[in-house]
Amino acid sequence: MSTSFHPLTFWSIFTALAVGVVLSDSAISAFLALGGAAWIVYRFRGDGPWRNSFKWSLIAGLYLIAIRALAGIVIGVPRLGDTLFTLPRIQLPSWMPGIRIGGPVTWERLSFSLHEGLIIATVIALFGAANSVTSPRKLLRVMPSRIYQLAVTLTIATSVFPQLISSITRIRQAQYLRSGRRPRVSQVAIPLLEESLGRAVALAESMEAKGFGLSKVQSRYRPITYSSRDLIYIVAGFIFSGAMVAL
Amino acid sequence: MIKFSRVSLIYPHSTTTVIEDLSFEISEGEMVLVMGHTGSGKSSLLRLVNGLVPHHTGGILAGEIIVDGRSTRTSKPGELAGIVGIVGQNPIATFVTDTVEEELAFGLEALNFPNDVMRKRVEEALDQVGLAPLRNRDIATLSGGEQQRLAIAAALVMHPKVLVLDEPTSALDPVASEEILAILHRLVHDLSVTVILAEHRLERVIGYVDRILLIEGDGSSAIGTPSEILKKSDLVPPIVRLTRALDLEEVGTSTRDVRRITEKLRSDLPESERPSHIAGRALVSAKDICLSYGEKEALKEVSIELRASEITALMGRNGAGKSSLIKALVGLMEPKSGYINIDGVNLMQIKQSERSQRIGYIPQEPGDLLYLTSVNDECSRADKDNALPKGATFELLHEMLPSISGNSHPRDLSEGERLTLVLALVLSGAPDILILDEPTRGLDYSAKNRLMALLHNRACEEGTTILIATHDVEIVAEVADRTIFLADGEKVADGSTLDVLLASPAFAPQVAKVMSPRRWLTVSDVLRSQELSE
Repeated sequence: MSTSFHPLTFWSIFTALAVGVVLSDSAISAFLALGGAAWIVYRFRGDGPWRNSFKWSLIAGLYLIAIRALAGIVIGVPRLGDTLFTLPRIQLPSWMPGIRIGGPVTWERLSFSLHEGLIIATVIALFGAANSVTSPRKLLRVMPSRIYQLAVTLTIATSVFPQLISSITRIRQAQYLRSGRRPRVSQVAIPLLEESLGRAVALAESMEAKGFGLSKVQSRYRPITYSSRDLIYIVAGFIFSGAMVAL
Repeated sequence: MIKFSRVSLIYPHSTTTVIEDLSFEISEGEMVLVMGHTGSGKSSLLRLVNGLVPHHTGGILAGEIIVDGRSTRTSKPGELAGIVGIVGQNPIATFVTDTVEEELAFGLEALNFPNDVMRKRVEEALDQVGLAPLRNRDIATLSGGEQQRLAIAAALVMHPKVLVLDEPTSALDPVASEEILAILHRLVHDLSVTVILAEHRLERVIGYVDRILLIEGDGSSAIGTPSEILKKSDLVPPIVRLTRALDLEEVGTSTRDVRRITEKLRSDLPESERPSHIAGRALVSAKDICLSYGEKEALKEVSIELRASEITALMGRNGAGKSSLIKALVGLMEPKSGYINIDGVNLMQIKQSERSQRIGYIPQEPGDLLYLTSVNDECSRADKDNALPKGATFELLHEMLPSISGNSHPRDLSEGERLTLVLALVLSGAPDILILDEPTRGLDYSAKNRLMALLHNRACEEGTTILIATHDVEIVAEVADRTIFLADGEKVADGSTLDVLLASPAFAPQVAKVMSPRRWLTVSDVLRSQELSE
């Protein structure tokens, strides 16, 4: 089903949601937005190499919350409130005023850190969700023709990533099987570099042989158009986002 | 259609010419095979046709190449896009877009074709290669044969007069490669497209081509009908080796021809058994293994046994589960159910370092294992890894390939040399099990013969257990004692190579097709019978 949507539809919905979450700055709206995003991804996810971006961005978000919380506990400005526990405090030189490492950890300080981490993680997850439902390449296809050539160049640059990941896995496995040890970075990097260069040259040759770049103007195959369904979804997304800010 | 007059080519920073003083003419609607050893300049020659060499690669070109009345000297490759379509060695690397239709439209968009023309051309190309049902599919999800068909279609949308293909069937199973060749055959005969292709597996293409252009590495070349060229070439398919070995006057290039001239022989020669092979104990036994990726079942209750001193071939179409089985056997993937034992010990219980010592694995891209800057360095690392005296690995390599120089860079080696290097590195650890994944891709006949002799020697002399996963029917017929056939994740055949290969028409080697119903797979099988009769 996802193919019949305009690529900009989901991107604008998720952008609206992200703006809504940041402006409303509340954990409830963040969870609501994540829930909405999860539903959309579940329902309209494509089958390309990007389909799992939402999952990965969620995992990245969890790490981010953890790091933010940890930083909030250890470093920071003192905040008054109920002290949960006290960490040993490290004395900093006098020319670093206002920064503290260690000391009492209050409930307010912890919840503030978690809250901030959650908001940032939500924004990241929303963009991950947008990638899951519409591949960035599709988005590039609807860019105005003036930047179409730039868009194609970007498309090619992005096409390298899924292949790069599978090549890395393949090379690592081969080396691991040979020596029984995890290979060092250089061991993987050199065969990888060789392969990527080969691929890049092959791709450039293929584009040149097909006449890419010869004509200043390019036509579009099956130009993508808006439908009323796109409009309904976008309006719904904006209302949802507006409601979050208003409440 | 294509005219080369006195063409010579030299690449920058190189002291030897790739092509020297080459002249030939190819007319419209011809199918021409370019043949030669690896590194003889076949790929360069193909890319000269649309000017990618030297416009894209650099290099100095002498002489003149005229394609459809235009000189490649003054026309850029893109300007020839409507005349010459080119299909590279590795199609997946040449795709620019995500989906089948978009890929077909890419070239047309670039040349600013109006939308209605594009729609017609895309439709046409989809029908020509039979991809219409897959039009909206993501390219990454296509099988190898489908990708090759798409690459051909992407060239066809430009309505080229010439189609150039570099090893179009080398990565494909016999069935998929038949499909590709049938498409090319139809293009030549129905649309008078001129087709030029390079291919190492002559047995696959020889029956389709009108002429052969033979280029030798030293700059000399010859062009002529298949029988003219094959009479004197040292690169010949099994069918020609057969006619030579039997001292027949004619050189047949198709199964039908050779069947005709060997009719008497077939009925006269006595029955002969392949020398029976004594396999050792079962070293590896896999029992009822199931493996799945997400919801997709890759292996369904497959049980196999690999025995010492035995070469087992693993065959099946692309996607039949060969790679999954190999991954399970080397311990990369744990089976969902069932178990794999080595010498009675469960594979998963053996530590990886010990596994690496016992199982030598040659990946599909041997280059994955090479990262140092010279052959010598790679060899001394293997010495150190395996606690061998200094120089032991290089000695082994030298035995396998006397012409190799220790100072050369691994990347400058030919495919065959590189494979031999990796084999030497892995074999220096003296593994008792050797697993090779698709080792003959891109190898010419001499490199293949070297590989086969080496494997045979390992199995007989050292008692190594060998498993080869391959599409190459001819190599299986020559070296494998036993053949296992997978289809859709299930084992469908497991038995002596003779029985398994003769049972399947698509996977039968060329000699078997000629000699059917006699039970001979290779030239040496036939010769053995001949000796008996004398």
